[in-house]
Amino acid sequence: MSKVTNIEEAVRLVQDGMMLGLGGNVLHRSPMAFVREIVRQKRKNLRVVKTAGGHDVDVLAAFNCLKSVDAGFIGYETGFGLAKFYRKAVEDGTIQANEHACYTVMSALRAAMANVGFMPIKGMVAGDLITQNDYFKIIEDPFTREKITVVKAITPDIAILHVQEADEDGNGFIFGPKYDDILLSNASKKIILTTEKLIPKSRSAMNFKNVDIPGFLVSAVVVAPRGAMPGSCDVMYDVDSKALKDFLSISDLKELNLYLQKYDHQDHQFR
Amino acid sequence: MQNYNKSKSIHPADVMILQLAAAIEDHETVFHGVSSQLPMIAAKYAKAKHAPNSTILNIPGGVNSKSRNLSSYSSAGKEEWYDSESIFPLEKVFDLSMRGKLDVAFLGGVQFDEFGNVNASVIGDYRKPKVRLPGGAGSAVLIPTVKKALIWRTKHDKKTFVPKVDFVTTRGNVYRIVTPLCTFGQVGGKLVVLEISPLSSKQEVIENTGFSLSLDNVSIGVLPTQAELLLIRKIDPQGLRYLEF
Repeated sequence: MSKVTNIEEAVRLVQDGMMLGLGGNVLHRSPMAFVREIVRQKRKNLRVVKTAGGHDVDVLAAFNCLKSVDAGFIGYETGFGLAKFYRKAVEDGTIQANEHACYTVMSALRAAMANVGFMPIKGMVAGDLITQNDYFKIIEDPFTREKITVVKAITPDIAILHVQEADEDGNGFIFGPKYDDILLSNASKKIILTTEKLIPKSRSAMNFKNVDIPGFLVSAVVVAPRGAMPGSCDVMYDVDSKALKDFLSISDLKELNLYLQKYDHQDHQFR
Repeated sequence: MQNYNKSKSIHPADVMILQLAAAIEDHETVFHGVSSQLPMIAAKYAKAKHAPNSTILNIPGGVNSKSRNLSSYSSAGKEEWYDSESIFPLEKVFDLSMRGKLDVAFLGGVQFDEFGNVNASVIGDYRKPKVRLPGGAGSAVLIPTVKKALIWRTKHDKKTFVPKVDFVTTRGNVYRIVTPLCTFGQVGGKLVVLEISPLSSKQEVIENTGFSLSLDNVSIGVLPTQAELLLIRKIDPQGLRYLEF
């Protein structure tokens, strides 16, 4: 049976307080259309995990949807600057920034993937990240008796991944860099794919060896052309620098709502 | 901004690229991350000049990407993935470093103290910060495991080089910190100035560093040659190396 649904229905799978794993990296291939629909449906207290986030986390922060963010880096790249809304919310104490080294996010997801409670990390040996965060502990290796830092598993309730092509069963193809999407797909309880293009099953079957996200793991498929905008999506489009700069110059709620409205039509093309 | 340019045609970014590239030797494995245009160009420079057998790794997973068309805003995008020799994703780069097989990693930071503590996390308190910074990315696991941690920072002032950092994102094993004014190394756990930029002076370094330094036996570096500048410009015709200034 087809897993294709529209974006409003797919976002209804997201409940307040859930832990979401967002695909892509910084400004590349983030599930922005889905993120904007989360905002429109006014989800609250969400927790987000990602090695390196950017505009996605900043939009969720701007509209007050977040409780915490587990990440190694949150920012736009050189030239755009800091994630303005995320930064302000952390400084105000409304979002808890759980800083990781990017690798410790991966290790926490690897633990979830293997269904164990924690994962040892070789390189995490000193500093305030270990002492100030309760998700790191230093324990004794039971075999060598040496000290080792471990990170607590992070199991996203839903991974939201934006891909270039998928079929109605959810077999997804990523073009270009895959970033941490495969890891997220294996660590999460559910997967929702948003895809630039829906392709026939006959076509994905011809190319089955290159499927990146196996359909049997996927709960829903949303057709979302230009769904990573204003970020980039390899092969399809590069970043919309003007839209990002405009967003970062916003100073009130009215302008924030205008940002959302600008994408209303584009985000709801397939109902 | 301070007036760095004593020589009109040479920008501090050019001197920094040569300092960073000089730390890369032939046959080494080299990694740079996000928001890292200056290191990306330094790594490409080293490979083109004195380290032809080095292996350059990055976030999207491209190995020795030969892409000529560098992104105007990103050092972690598709441009660094295409025209590669093979694909080696970030997860594997970290694992490589954990196994002791990563030679060089380029890392950022916003505050440093004389004991080599690095802060890329917050100004102020961790839970109620005055400024929430982007975060240390991979630094906390790479600095302890990579053979040479190369840190670059385009600001050199008393807010950057402080007596005590607000937060220790990571520490130890800092091989070099390269700034527009000088290059630091670490001796006996303490930061020492190894060389002063030919565009700066001992006095400027002292005035802009928040802890005491001994500069008695420190020399001033030489200006880049015309051939070196030409190669930098060939690798970076867009001037991405100026983005952070």
